[in-house]
Amino acid sequence: MNREGQDNDRKSGQFMELLSRLLMNKAAVIGLIILLVLIFCAVFADVITPYDYAAQDLKNRFVSPCYAHPFGTDNLGRDILSRVIYGARISLSVGVLSVCLSAVVGIILGAIAGFYGGAPDNLIMRVMDIFLAIPNLLLAISIAATLGNGIPNLIMAIGIGAAPTYARIVRASVLSLKEQEFVEAARAVGASDAQIIASHIIPNCLAPIIVQMTLGVASAILSTASLSFIGLGIAPPTSEWGSMLSAGRQYIRDAWYIVTFPGLAIMVTIFGLNLFGDGLRDALDPKLKN
Amino acid sequence: MSRILDIKDLSIHFLLKSGTVKAVNRLSLSLDEGETLGLVGETGAGKTTTALGIMGLVQSPPGKTLGGEILFDGRDLLKLPTREMRKIRGNDISMIFQDPMTSLNPIDTVGEQIAEVIKLHNKVSPAEAAKEAQKMLEMVGIDGSRYNDYPHQFSGGMKQRVVIAIALACHPRLLIADEPTTALDVTIQAQVLDLMRDLRDQMNTSMILITHDLGVVAEVCDKVAIMYAGEIVEYGTLRQVYKNPCHYYTKGLFASIPNMNEKVRRLTPIKGMMPDPAALPAGCKFAERCEYAGEGCGAEQELRDVGEGHLVRCFQCRKQTGVSR
Amino acid sequence: MLSVPEADGGEQMKTILEVQDLKKYFKTSRGILHAVDGVSFKLNVGETLGVVGESGCGKSTLGRTVLHLTEPTDGRILFDGEDITDCSKQHLKELRRRMQIIFQDPFASLDPRKSVREIIEEPLKIYHMFPDREEKRRYVNQLMDTVGLAQRFGSLYPHELDGGRRQRVGIARALALEPDFIVCDEPVSALDVSIQAQVLNLLQDLQEERGLTYMFVTHDLSVVKHIATHIMVMYLGQMVEYADADELFENPLHPYTQALLSAVPVPDVDRKRERIILRGEISSPVDPKPGCRFSPRCIRCTEKCSNTGIHLEEVKPGHFVSCMEFE
Repeated sequence: MNREGQDNDRKSGQFMELLSRLLMNKAAVIGLIILLVLIFCAVFADVITPYDYAAQDLKNRFVSPCYAHPFGTDNLGRDILSRVIYGARISLSVGVLSVCLSAVVGIILGAIAGFYGGAPDNLIMRVMDIFLAIPNLLLAISIAATLGNGIPNLIMAIGIGAAPTYARIVRASVLSLKEQEFVEAARAVGASDAQIIASHIIPNCLAPIIVQMTLGVASAILSTASLSFIGLGIAPPTSEWGSMLSAGRQYIRDAWYIVTFPGLAIMVTIFGLNLFGDGLRDALDPKLKN
Repeated sequence: MSRILDIKDLSIHFLLKSGTVKAVNRLSLSLDEGETLGLVGETGAGKTTTALGIMGLVQSPPGKTLGGEILFDGRDLLKLPTREMRKIRGNDISMIFQDPMTSLNPIDTVGEQIAEVIKLHNKVSPAEAAKEAQKMLEMVGIDGSRYNDYPHQFSGGMKQRVVIAIALACHPRLLIADEPTTALDVTIQAQVLDLMRDLRDQMNTSMILITHDLGVVAEVCDKVAIMYAGEIVEYGTLRQVYKNPCHYYTKGLFASIPNMNEKVRRLTPIKGMMPDPAALPAGCKFAERCEYAGEGCGAEQELRDVGEGHLVRCFQCRKQTGVSR
Repeated sequence: MLSVPEADGGEQMKTILEVQDLKKYFKTSRGILHAVDGVSFKLNVGETLGVVGESGCGKSTLGRTVLHLTEPTDGRILFDGEDITDCSKQHLKELRRRMQIIFQDPFASLDPRKSVREIIEEPLKIYHMFPDREEKRRYVNQLMDTVGLAQRFGSLYPHELDGGRRQRVGIARALALEPDFIVCDEPVSALDVSIQAQVLNLLQDLQEERGLTYMFVTHDLSVVKHIATHIMVMYLGQMVEYADADELFENPLHPYTQALLSAVPVPDVDRKRERIILRGEISSPVDPKPGCRFSPRCIRCTEKCSNTGIHLEEVKPGHFVSCMEFE
């Protein structure tokens, strides 16, 4: 057997260890199950939905939950269950992509600021401070309003607002990491700054970033829903939980199910992601090892 | 001289998910009034756990004290209720920890920290406690005017003096010092050791000095106990152990230290490493590293007297010296 | 320029490292910290220079400055006859292949997220050595063999190893580029005595096999006596005494060296030496006053000591002292 194979075994061994620690935490398991169900819904939405999410059936408007429509139908006779399932697709993709955007921007800026210090640090972090001074949602609203509707714009609007959080986390980790002797050891064998940042600094501050990203998806989904709710996100007829809430709110007295199910979907998703994120943090925290 | 501390068959294990770590195994130890005992061993030998065990500070769970007794002045500390034990800690027995930087509270002045211990164990007015604290500061060679200074205003050596002042504030009868000078520079170490010697003589405190440094032991101790894998493998007076080491681990330790007096080209280290305390071998724990191990070493070894109270836990050594069972 | 301490018989032997009046200052909020202040020495191939002193005397900074891990403030560094004080980044990278460092803390100096094999391979990757994976694998195996690490440790992570083995990984990494000169920064201070002896023996064997030159930075005088051929004693950034190892231990001249030697606890019950207990503690190396920096703690201090600047004097051939008594 070659050594590389064994090294890979070790790597997966570390991953299995992490997984087993995660699975010992009941709350995290619940979160993980919720998450997996959501991902399943998002991926197989076409197959599992009983109706087309946009198909209007004006004869069957405001149908209460029944066997044919478990979640009822809305004011245009669309099946709410199908719309909620499709909504998972939009919510998750916007959530994940915007978090990836903010993480990439934040990690790069944070790493540069932390590693070089001085003027670059000051410049980057003061700009980040300005971003942090504006409430996240307000920032997203103004960006979305400027850029206009559409999924890419929504991702930008939410992603940029969250980047400073990552920059701060990374910068703090880098500040402590760059004083570590193993960084000096890498320099002593001739590694360049870029090599040091890429192969020593970033892998070592990944744990807090992963945790923040999981929790970040939750808040991104919430922001998406909020933006859509006020009409700045996803345009109809695309089904999105926030815009469903918004559209259904005027019928809340007579048809409670129009707002209740998308609202529950948001709640359960955020709950699941937060449980999973907290569990991940505990599992990754080396102080809790053994 | 009266016996102040008598430990019999003390075992402390840590019950972890991954297995049971046998930190201290059937350890017996005694100390007379006014005596200083050096407890020597390498990392993981169970020195600190023993000390925490005497103080009743082993964290439980996962720590568990299994049987044995710790007689302090004839009272078994293991059987005392928590309240009683708390009274003894700091008053009759106190402890100095290795790192002076972290054992002081950064937001209290050093004077207050000493006075607090005095107030805790004696019925005195705050003014009296402050006066006593000032006296303690001066006793460890710090100007009394620095009473209101904070720990960060002191250097490492000075902080360790403050720690010693706190430990001695209630005139304990037994002081346990866990590597008190390891974090200090040589010249500062010399100062602190000098101070500890003086104070011990002045106050007639009994002392257990935990260290890995055989040099430090030679400076301050009367008796020496060498610890290996949770057991005491050799015990005797300073002269007995240093002049005539019997256990092969003790011999190995002496051979590993570069000698200041003679030049050797190569050191003779002990091969291998201490066994994992979660998977201790049967019989002599040192056998797998011992060059002289042979038949008989696989059996459980007892501490035997090889002459005048010099105790050794070694089959080969007993065979050579011809001590009968 | 003063005469520079160098090994006797320096004529025939090849000098590998020469340091002239090296200074390294750090700006702090309280003033200028003189970490290394005017140190000069020469080191020949195959020798070991022991640098001793207490914490804060600048011994570690000296080692790092020589290697360009921090840039010197002033002075010159000559490596193998070539002035490397202000060399380009590219040239520095080439130099790094010939001068390496072994760190004190085997816990902090290894990246916790890399396996032993990855750590030892890192320098090879940086210099694009051994493009052939099989060859690289064999070379790393050979290195692990040299430092006494069994192959099975290759796939482990640092936290799974004990201190002695970790230090062996650090040594293997330093050896990977086949350097001529290694700065050993307290390589055995964090290790237990029995393990310490194993590592010291390994370092000595490597020196003999590979003709290495060491600069051995430590606070432990018994270790330095064992391993060094020449010893430099530092106090607050300055060299206070330099001599042959044997000469220094038999005939220490500077009052600080004498106090330092007498303070070392010796594991011997018969040899009761006269102990010199120094007053006070090391003062701050920030904006030091002129005059002897040791004078506030010195038992033989006179008025002259704190006023006049002092120089290194060659008291005996090869024995240099910086003290008023020998001016």
